[in-house]
Amino acid sequence: MVSILGVGLGVAALLVVQTVMNGFGEEHRLRIRESFGDCVVIAKSPIEGPDVLIARLKADPEVISASAYTEGPALARRGAFSGVAFVRGTDPLATDQPVRQYVVAGSFDGLDDGRVILGIGLARTLRVAVGDKIEVWSPVMAEQAEKGKAPLPASLEVCAIVRTGFTEVDDRAAIIPLRRFRELWSLGERAHGVTLRLKDPANAVATAARLNVGKAGLNFIPWQEIKKNFLEAIRFEKTMLFFLMFIITLVASFSIGSTLFSAVIRRTREVGVLVALGAQRWHLVGLFGVQGLLIGALGTALGFLLTWGILYFREGILDLINSLFGNGDMVANVYQFSKVPLHYDAMDFVVAAAFTLIVTTVAGLVPALWAAGRKPSEAMRDA
Amino acid sequence: MPKVVLQATGLKKSFASPNGPLAVLRAVDLVVHAGESISIRGSSGSGKTTLLQLLGGLETPEGGEVFINQVEQGLVTPRKLLGHGVGFVFQNYQLMPELTALENVVLAAKIIGRSQVEGKARELLQLVGLGDRLRHLPSQLSGGECQRVAIARALINEPAVILADEPTGNLDETTGKEVMKLLLEVVAQRQTALVLVTHSREFAEKASRRLVLAGGVLSSA
Ligand SMILES: Nc1ncnc2c1ncn2[C@@H]1O[C@H](COP(=O)(O)OP(=O)(O)OP(=O)(O)O)[C@@H](O)[C@H]1O
Ligand SMILES: [Mg+2]
Repeated sequence: MVSILGVGLGVAALLVVQTVMNGFGEEHRLRIRESFGDCVVIAKSPIEGPDVLIARLKADPEVISASAYTEGPALARRGAFSGVAFVRGTDPLATDQPVRQYVVAGSFDGLDDGRVILGIGLARTLRVAVGDKIEVWSPVMAEQAEKGKAPLPASLEVCAIVRTGFTEVDDRAAIIPLRRFRELWSLGERAHGVTLRLKDPANAVATAARLNVGKAGLNFIPWQEIKKNFLEAIRFEKTMLFFLMFIITLVASFSIGSTLFSAVIRRTREVGVLVALGAQRWHLVGLFGVQGLLIGALGTALGFLLTWGILYFREGILDLINSLFGNGDMVANVYQFSKVPLHYDAMDFVVAAAFTLIVTTVAGLVPALWAAGRKPSEAMRDA
Repeated sequence: MPKVVLQATGLKKSFASPNGPLAVLRAVDLVVHAGESISIRGSSGSGKTTLLQLLGGLETPEGGEVFINQVEQGLVTPRKLLGHGVGFVFQNYQLMPELTALENVVLAAKIIGRSQVEGKARELLQLVGLGDRLRHLPSQLSGGECQRVAIARALINEPAVILADEPTGNLDETTGKEVMKLLLEVVAQRQTALVLVTHSREFAEKASRRLVLAGGVLSSA
């Protein structure tokens, strides 16, 4: 009974960690797509007349929407505080601006040529809130200053503050209308790139490759590639955790092994009698192997149940941990997810179950084989 | 002359001890004929249990040979016939504690792959006087009753020989007498040979042939 619980806990630990890790991974993937688009089109030099390209891309059945964007660094300043802003020019009328859902103050719809949306980190650096005004100096203005003209910075009112969860975005982002960006950067009708929303984001790699065909000079980058390092880090983290959990399960399995082993030793006399009665090796192997398999199966079932229970009550459990250790709301602070994200992966469950069954069966078989290998006369003397 | 069911020649066995190997059996010869009963006496430590283990195939001799004459199979070493060739009756019964009397008897047959044996097992338990105790666990039976179950178990596979190692050693005098009487009756009735190790002169007298194990050799009493 204790060994079933041990297996159950091992399996549950493995699956809870895997499922939560998957959840974080999925959540991050979603955020990457929402922040950058499902696919980005860039070129070596700014794209001339992007409207033609956009019209052509929109005609593709896989593309839901396409919009031009511009981007570039600028100096943002308010009074004595200044910071580097990574300014992005987008179409404020575009309906599918994913940034909309990350607005924490103000309103996205207020965006016009005299206004700007700031990432929360940048807003903090500049000590501004919605309604405050900031100055923005673009590199073009520096060029003008070199030529002896006295440029005036753009004065923009903060109309919204966003928090995406990506520190590098939140600490630097400034969003202004595309038209205004072109003006401040003297870009004319050009754009730095086009973002696409796709019908099937999971298939973005293939779609990007297909769309790229015949468009020399353009580079279609699917979202999976945009934050490749980051996504790989998450996957690596998951693999490492799986490895650690694997060890935990192995430890649990050893305790099963020793439980079964002592059970076999306690029954040495009986094993001896069975051999004296003509039992074959496979009888004993079957007897004790089935016992191990049974413990494994029940333990796995218990583990699945525990996993579900723990994940179902995860918020409550986290609250309890936080109140016990006074960490505050870690998930919201560090990851900026309001809930612990989950993503059930059937493969994890299959792997955990198969692994556990194999280990427990072996843990039962080894002592059984050992017992069967003893001479029955000695076994019976041990009584 | 009835046919030979068990034949042992020149059996040797020694055990390691702090003072070098301890020779327990030096040269034991024994021929058992169908239906006969043989009693073996000897002081404690003379090697009686060891001899029975060699005869039954639970141990392998260092020298000499044991053959069991099994119907259809001819002379075979007992090791290959565990469960078939001989039936064991041990001093401390050696029943499976979580199985009932009936199940213990049935197990012995099932373990060597026989099926449809429950009726036979019932019959044998009836024969040893336990027809109404089939569903009792060993812990619910007295020592004498347990030994009766063990006798039924030894008989179920119809062995040519039954090897009994002090079957009354754990029983009080009256019960011991009853069990011994039963054992001798059933083997006589079924024409099964019996090799009986016992300390009791009285029981030893009842065997058709009486032997003594001393100094590692077997001789007539
Ligand atoms: N596995 C073993 N290892 C070492 N010595 C053993 C082993 N089995 C038996 N012996 C020794 O062999 C000798 C004979 O043992 P055995 O059990 O055959 O005697 P026995 O005649 O049956 O005695 P008892 O009447 O007390 O049952 C004893 O001295 C015993 O200590
Ligand atoms: Mg003995």
